[in-house]
Formats: sequence, structure tokens, C-alpha cells
Amino acid sequence: MTDLASYAPLAIILLMAITFAVANVVLTLLIGPRRRGKIKGMTYESGMNPIGTARKRFNVRFYLIAMVFLVFDVEIIFLYPWAATFPNLDPSSPDALVWLFRILFFLLTTVVAYLYGFRKGVFRFD
Amino acid sequence: MLTLPAQTLVSIVTFAVVVHVVLLTVAYLIYVERKVSAYIQDRIGPNRVGFDFGLPFLKPLRGMWGLGQPLADGLKFLLKEDYAPDHVDKGLFTLAPIAIIVPALIGFAIIPWGGTWVIEHDISLLGLVTFEAGPVVVAGLHVDAGIIYLLGVASLGVYGVTLGGWASNNKYSFLGGLRCTAQMISYEIPLGLSLLAVLLMVGSLLPTEIIAYQREHGWLIFSQPLAAIIFFLAILAEANRTPFDNAEAEQELVGGYHTEYSSMRFALFFLAEYSHMITSSAFFALLFLGGWSVIPFMNLLPDVAAGPLLPLVKFAIYFGKVLTLVVFMIVIRWTIPRLRFDQVMMMAWQAVIPLSLIIVVLTSVMVYLRLDSLGPMLIANGVLVALLMAVYPLLPKIQTNRKVPLYGSRFSPMAGEVVQTAPTEPAAREDHPMRTAAPA
Repeated sequence: MTDLASYAPLAIILLMAITFAVANVVLTLLIGPRRRGKIKGMTYESGMNPIGTARKRFNVRFYLIAMVFLVFDVEIIFLYPWAATFPNLDPSSPDALVWLFRILFFLLTTVVAYLYGFRKGVFRFD
Repeated sequence: MLTLPAQTLVSIVTFAVVVHVVLLTVAYLIYVERKVSAYIQDRIGPNRVGFDFGLPFLKPLRGMWGLGQPLADGLKFLLKEDYAPDHVDKGLFTLAPIAIIVPALIGFAIIPWGGTWVIEHDISLLGLVTFEAGPVVVAGLHVDAGIIYLLGVASLGVYGVTLGGWASNNKYSFLGGLRCTAQMISYEIPLGLSLLAVLLMVGSLLPTEIIAYQREHGWLIFSQPLAAIIFFLAILAEANRTPFDNAEAEQELVGGYHTEYSSMRFALFFLAEYSHMITSSAFFALLFLGGWSVIPFMNLLPDVAAGPLLPLVKFAIYFGKVLTLVVFMIVIRWTIPRLRFDQVMMMAWQAVIPLSLIIVVLTSVMVYLRLDSLGPMLIANGVLVALLMAVYPLLPKIQTNRKVPLYGSRFSPMAGEVVQTAPTEPAAREDHPMRTAAPA
């Protein structure tokens, strides 16, 4: 089962899940009552009159986290094929040592990126 | 006449059965959560709603320890008004609960609940489709990407949270969604890295291979205890469970990203959270607790089953492990207080991610030296913990967000100051100061 045909059940699984979600939303729209009102449609701000909008600028730290996350996540994705093949190599062959040091160098670049971010204060939350 | 492998039929049937089992379990998990919290807080919890539906002739079904509560809740969710306030982004507001429930429902398709099963005869459906006999895996999906599929689908859940927070156009929702997104993507990295430590020992991405490895070499929680702890922390944070539930910290953010939701759309967020717990517990049981194997270091059940009974037994064992883990998560929620947001994020980036990187490097070196059996791995983990404890005092201390002493207060008095922590008035020192006459 290594061909693409083994992914065929995924289509039906997805269909079942989406049907469940959409059916629930539609059903409650059909069954439930509908009453609109001016006060009822206001933003909930603990009972006070809402001040301004929520579409405002927010802390730049969240952007930084997203960028650092991208660096790490892409690195990890590259590690999975290696992790699936490396243990199956013969450890006495020179290939295994080369594979090990290649990935250690790859991880070293991550560590350099991490240390750079650390010195720049990306991981500080004060 | 179409001919398909039997895996297709088994996959679809297994998924259809498992999704119903999971949804029923989720409904009762909410009941269990309320009951556990009640017993921890010395209350009784839900105990009124039975299955009598208010009808006199069903009186014996009244009460039933409140077991009818999930049914009543579900009906209420359907019958209540699904209200979208005026200021929301209508399309995204409707899309968000769907975007969060779909990944939560398809994630556990990859879990091999029943192990391998041999189908001996061809199955023909109405003479139109023939399913060829052969060994099949009792799972919703059996693909060679395996674990990567589960990881990818699990990280799709963050879209629902972000969309829900953004579309609501509410400050509480927005802040909750932002926090939740930052926390979920931060803890995805230790999740992936500690998973890598397991894959390095197994050498395969197939869930069945991971269980086979653990049958041969013992459960991986014994040879990778640190990775198991990190993985458990990460799944707690991914599922937004206490102590990491900053997204819906009631005291600061009301309901977090689902503040503005009502009725079934709110219920979908709830369902997603609980089915996420089930999925991640099944993931944990697959990686560290040997899947459907009964006892560590002993193979009581055969690997390949011929009859239909054994897959059911394996499913029961597997689901038992999952439920134990979920109840453990619930007990954690009602025992440990919530961490502050900056503490959660600093723990992720300054402690858990470096540690899981070290574990990956350690495991890869151990695998290269062929020292990946139980004893050496345990010793390596112990040495790592000892090293960390030795190095920890040498690391620079974080000085931000520390408690600043307020000079002159009773907790940090000035030099030579006498601190009075108890009242000195005789009237105030009595047991019932109100009984005596008030001083003139």
C-alpha cells in the first residue's frame, strides 16, 4: 500500500466530517428562533457600551513568534524523512557517519538562528 | 465491475464507527469533566437529568446519576438561537467553527485502533464492487505518510481559532485568538521534536510499525521518558487545556475566541476541543504506550488477527488507554492553576524547545552507536537530567516580570521597621468583635 490509491478513503472521511459540521450549523439555523435587536447586536464588552473597534494594531511580538515558528517548523519537516531512514542504515558503513554529521550541521544552523533570536530578545515576554 | 483492495472498505467502515464512538465519548466527557470537577470541589455535580423526558410512565429512568445531561445539552444547543452580532464578518464567522471541527474529526483516522486483520474471502457489494481479500489495518486511513498526516491535520486546527478570534470583531475574542494562535504554534515545535525522538528509534512513519517496535523493545515511555513528558506538555498546550488555557481565561478574556458564539456554532468549538483531547491522547498512546498492547515487555495479543473478535478487543484496550489519559488531563485541569501567558511562552521558547532539540541530538547519536535499547537510553536520559540540574544555576536569571519588593510593606519591611501583621485593638482581637460596644 504505497501508491496514491491508499489515500482514497481520505476523500470520504473528509466528506463525512464536512457534512457533519455543515449539517449542524444549518440545522440549528433552521430549528432555532430568530430575533434581532439593536442592543442585542452590539459587541460584548462586559455590558459596557463598546468603545471603538477590535481591528486595531497589536503587539509586534506576535509577528516575531510567527516568523520564528516558520524557521523551526520548516526545519523539523526536513528532519522527518531523515528520521525515517537514518536508523535503517548500516552503522558500520561510512554513509551513516556522513548522514549523522550532515544533520548535526543542519541542527547547528537552527541553534545559530535560535541564539540570534535569543540575543535580539525575541523570546522575552515582558 | 470495479476491484478495490479490502483496505478501502475497512477504512471507511472503521472511520464511520470510530467517529460515532468518539462523538458519543465527547458528549459524555463533558459530563465526566463536570462530575470530576464537582468531586474535586466537594460538590455533587449533575445528578438530575435522566432519560424520562418528563413522561410519567418512564419514571424509573428519572435521575440516573445525571446521565441524560449530554443528551439534554445537545438538544438545547440545537434548539437555541444561532445569533451572529451585527459587527462580525459573517462568512468567516460561520467558517471558523467548521474549520476547527473538520481537522478535529479527521485527525484520528490514522490511529490503528484494531491492529492488522486478515480478511480471508473476497467481499462483493451488490455485484458492482469487489474488495480483494488480504491483510488490512483496522484504521480509518492507512497511508505511508502516517504520522506526518496526523501532525499536519493537528496543526490545521489553529486556523479555526484564528478565524474565530478575528471574525468576531470583539476585543476579548481577538486577544484570545491571538494568544491561542501564538501558544499553539509555539508548542507545535516541541511536539514535532519529541515525536522525532521516537521516529529516530523506530525508523518508520507508519503507525503499525511504531506499535510493532514497541512490542519488540518495550514501550517507548520507558526508553524516552523526557520526550514523553515534553510530548504530554505539548499536547496539553495544543488542546488548550489547563495549565495552558490562556485563550479562554475567564477572569481576563471572558470566553476567549468563542465569546460571541452561541448555539451549535459554540458547541462545535466545544466538540473540537474534546475530540482534540481524544486525538492527542490516542497519539500519545500510540507513540509511548504501545498502542493496543496490554502490558509492557509482554506480548499477550498476537500481531495479526484472523477473526473479527481480536480487533474489537484491541480497540477496547486502546480506547481504555485513551480514556485514562483524557481523565488524567481533566484531573490536571481541576488541580493545577493556570500559568500566565508570558510564563507559558517563555517556557516554550526558553526551556522546552532547547531541551527537545538536545533530546533529538542525543537520540540520533545513541541510534548511530546502536545504544538505543532500554538500559542505555534510560541512563542517557538520567545523565541529561543531572547535567541540566548542574547547569541550571549557572544560566543567567530572567529578571523581567519578577515580583518587585514594595519597601515599607509588611512583606519587605524597611530596615529597623516593626511590622504589625495582627490587629492590636482588644476589640478586634476577640472572636466576636461586634458583640462588644463600639468604641465611642
